[in-house]
Amino acid sequence: MAILPTKNPILSAQNLCVESVGAKESFPVLTDLNFSLEPGKILGLVGESGAGKSMIGRTISQYLPKGFAVTKGTLAFDGEDLVSMLPERRRNLLGRDIAFIPQEPLSGLNPVLTVGQQIKEHLLRIGLASGENWRERALKEFESVHLPHGAALLEKYPHQLSGGMCQRILIAMAFASRPRLLIADEPTTALDVTIQARIVKLIAEMQKRDGTAVIFITHDLRLASQISDEIMVLYAGRPAERGPAKQLFSSPAHPYTRCLQLANPTITGPRRGLFILPERMPGLRVLKELKGCRFASRCPNAIEACTRAEPPLADIGPNHIAACIRTEKTPDIVPPPLAPGREIASARIHLNGEKLTKAYTTAWSPFAKRSSFKAVNSVDFSLGEGEFVGIVGESGSGKSSLARLVVGLDTPTDGRITLAGRDITANGNADRAYRREYIQMVFQDPQSALNPRRRIGSIVTQANEASGLHNSTRERMDRAAELLKEIGLPPDAAMRFPSQLSGGQKQRVNIARALCTLPRILVADEIVSGLDVSVQAQLLDLLLKLRDEHGFSMLFISHDLSVVRYLCDRVMVMYRGEVVESGRTETVFADPKHAYTRSLLAAVPPDDVNAEWSPVLAEAGYQVE
Amino acid sequence: MRMFATIAKLLVKRVLTAIPILLLVSALLFCILRILPVDPAAMSLPPNATVQEVEAMRTEMGLNLPLYQQYGIWLNKLFHGDIGRSIHFRQDVTSLIGSTLPATIELAVIAMMVATVFGLAGGLFLFYVRGTRAEAVMDFVSILLLSLPEFLWSLFLLLIFGVFFEVLPFTGRLSPGFERPLVTGFLLFDSLITGNIPTLLNALQHMILPCLALGIALSPSLMRVLRSSLLDAYQDDYIQQARLRGLSEKRILIRHGLKNAILPTLSLMGVQFGFLFGGTLLVEIIYSYPGMGNLMVDAIRNADLPIIQGAGLTYCVAVLVISIVVDSLYLILNPKLRVR
Repeated sequence: MAILPTKNPILSAQNLCVESVGAKESFPVLTDLNFSLEPGKILGLVGESGAGKSMIGRTISQYLPKGFAVTKGTLAFDGEDLVSMLPERRRNLLGRDIAFIPQEPLSGLNPVLTVGQQIKEHLLRIGLASGENWRERALKEFESVHLPHGAALLEKYPHQLSGGMCQRILIAMAFASRPRLLIADEPTTALDVTIQARIVKLIAEMQKRDGTAVIFITHDLRLASQISDEIMVLYAGRPAERGPAKQLFSSPAHPYTRCLQLANPTITGPRRGLFILPERMPGLRVLKELKGCRFASRCPNAIEACTRAEPPLADIGPNHIAACIRTEKTPDIVPPPLAPGREIASARIHLNGEKLTKAYTTAWSPFAKRSSFKAVNSVDFSLGEGEFVGIVGESGSGKSSLARLVVGLDTPTDGRITLAGRDITANGNADRAYRREYIQMVFQDPQSALNPRRRIGSIVTQANEASGLHNSTRERMDRAAELLKEIGLPPDAAMRFPSQLSGGQKQRVNIARALCTLPRILVADEIVSGLDVSVQAQLLDLLLKLRDEHGFSMLFISHDLSVVRYLCDRVMVMYRGEVVESGRTETVFADPKHAYTRSLLAAVPPDDVNAEWSPVLAEAGYQVE
Repeated sequence: MRMFATIAKLLVKRVLTAIPILLLVSALLFCILRILPVDPAAMSLPPNATVQEVEAMRTEMGLNLPLYQQYGIWLNKLFHGDIGRSIHFRQDVTSLIGSTLPATIELAVIAMMVATVFGLAGGLFLFYVRGTRAEAVMDFVSILLLSLPEFLWSLFLLLIFGVFFEVLPFTGRLSPGFERPLVTGFLLFDSLITGNIPTLLNALQHMILPCLALGIALSPSLMRVLRSSLLDAYQDDYIQQARLRGLSEKRILIRHGLKNAILPTLSLMGVQFGFLFGGTLLVEIIYSYPGMGNLMVDAIRNADLPIIQGAGLTYCVAVLVISIVVDSLYLILNPKLRVR
């Protein structure tokens, strides 16, 4: 009779604590972490930024940021403590037994070395190939991650490839040594939904092939529940809840898990309001002094008892634990009612585009024939008063090019734009002045959109400099105070610099700046991507609230279909510069007519954890130059 | 291969753009020096020449013609390799420059090599001690070095090694009694190919102090740029990713960090090398080094227009050549520039 081998965990943490050790005092970053991961299992790590998700990956590699150290507990890889292990021994494990997939695939590869040079270096180091046969081996690894044209790929530099392809190469490298443990830190955050689906499926496929244990770090609970066996939700450096993925997602026990889930808009079923998690995760200094539950300050179910003592992780089901003393109340947390829908059919048309086309032509050169391609190809659209129109599509589909035409950063090569009855296609000086009063743009990355050397008060009232109206210091400070109040920032924020604000606050400032002169139209390019779901929910509701107050309309560009479904009245689906489908958001998403729209929708992880996620895995056309 | 095609394209493009630049510079040199209140005709005659004699000389030299015609004649001669005759040295400018330019090129090239070695070593060391107490000290030292100009270094080194310890020669290129081979005009190269080892060694000894002075003066900025480029590169994900693949720190530094950080350092070196051609001047004077710098000083002191014009054009050509070389190197080292 065969005896089933008892499965030893490949990775186990016991009372693991990581602290930021300062000269005078230390602050806990990860507190009392206990978990074990069996071979062949996927553990999803979920939480907002700053929850300590990535810190776990860094603790495993022991490449902690300066001043951080493991102060208590053990972290064992296959029974060996990674923390006390000799660095040489640990380095030997890295890349061979423990592999990592990074968040930013494009910057994860060295820009000055070819893909071939980098994979060769790796294969030689782990001893999988010798000087001559590395090429065959590399091609074999490329094949297993479904990368076509491998031989040509070896000669390429990272900047010549797409993010999805770079991620595939990194996955091929990570799995080349058949690692026993893989840490994937937000591996798809920087990618399109369709690519995300393929990459996630690929990781799962490789993981099955090799029986690798995977730690999958993500801020997307829905995605984690699709791919993981078990999920651990982290809050401020401590596990809030841990349990089997499906069970945790369908009946979350910790209020934080529930709030995260409800903060994310849905892609199917009736639209619902978003749960707004107030404020932010407490900072390290606050946490150190904190007596009670660390989530209490934001918890809708918190009572006085919650602030007295840190709740222990208690069993609430098989393999399911949560750190909350009132788990029975968690299902009572419900999303707020949806704001009543707006009737926009009769609305006046503000902005109208007819057969808009933008063609880019390569620079003149005596050596090559000039070629041109149409970033925006004969697009018709309109934007009514108070209407939010979403533009969705993959990167390169022409969404941002269309936005640039609308705000006047580019002049169309063909077609016509009219704004409130006036033809502004020519984009002359008078058109620009006219357009400026009507349209303002909110940029994607607040980090680079806000001048770091100016104070918030001066940034949000920048528009007054251009118009010259109300441009005295007094008037500007007054206006800044009003704007900050509207976007929910304290008045003293006016005197701060952008670096003193959080990512979400910066994006609010970015919105406030666009609203300063009360434009009738906002153009927003991916303004909530890369933000936590909690911050995203806050911003989406802020936009709806501001629309109710000011009645502006918006072109909202996003690759996140759920967000568009929540926010926008109408949607336009763009593919290779053309609008392939458009209509009322709910109609388009419920009954997509175009195959491309269907593939976009299928790529989104379903709301129902038991539904099958079957993204279309066909390769996008990839051409070797 | 694509890389060579791109470099060939760059060369063609740069040589084509160099032509109008050279024409412009030549016109500028010509005009400015004609505007100067010196009369070449009077200067080329003995002080006791009569007004008639000067006038005859002016006609002979073509100085009475309209300016554009004078420029045309001058340009025409220039194309035939004739920059004119030096008024002061009574010699062809071409042969004067031909005999001093190689000396300056040798000085600049070796000084740049010294600067590169010190700069890279210092930059790596500054980077290596990052975050330690030694960093503050090294930072202080590098700023101190940065603030010392090359003529001070020249004087220090001359006093210490030349005068005080008397271990190194500090005037000219060769000690008396050494035979000077003449093949290409480049002393080091010529003595090497003719197998004249004593001359080679003696010439090298003469070059140590001026090259050190220039090299040391140029190296601190290279150090600091390399250090900060390395710090920038180490912020990037690919370094972290290389660590997570278990590569050794040494390999990460050389193959991943340095290969990226060298790019900004290289462009600074290109700029420095361009400056170096004009910048050897003080050092050449201090060490009585028979290069272009000394020639220029003599020419300016004597208002020797043909030399000034010739030297000006030579500098212009040198800077253009250097920038083409640096840009080609950039193409080789930075694949991002190679697309399209």
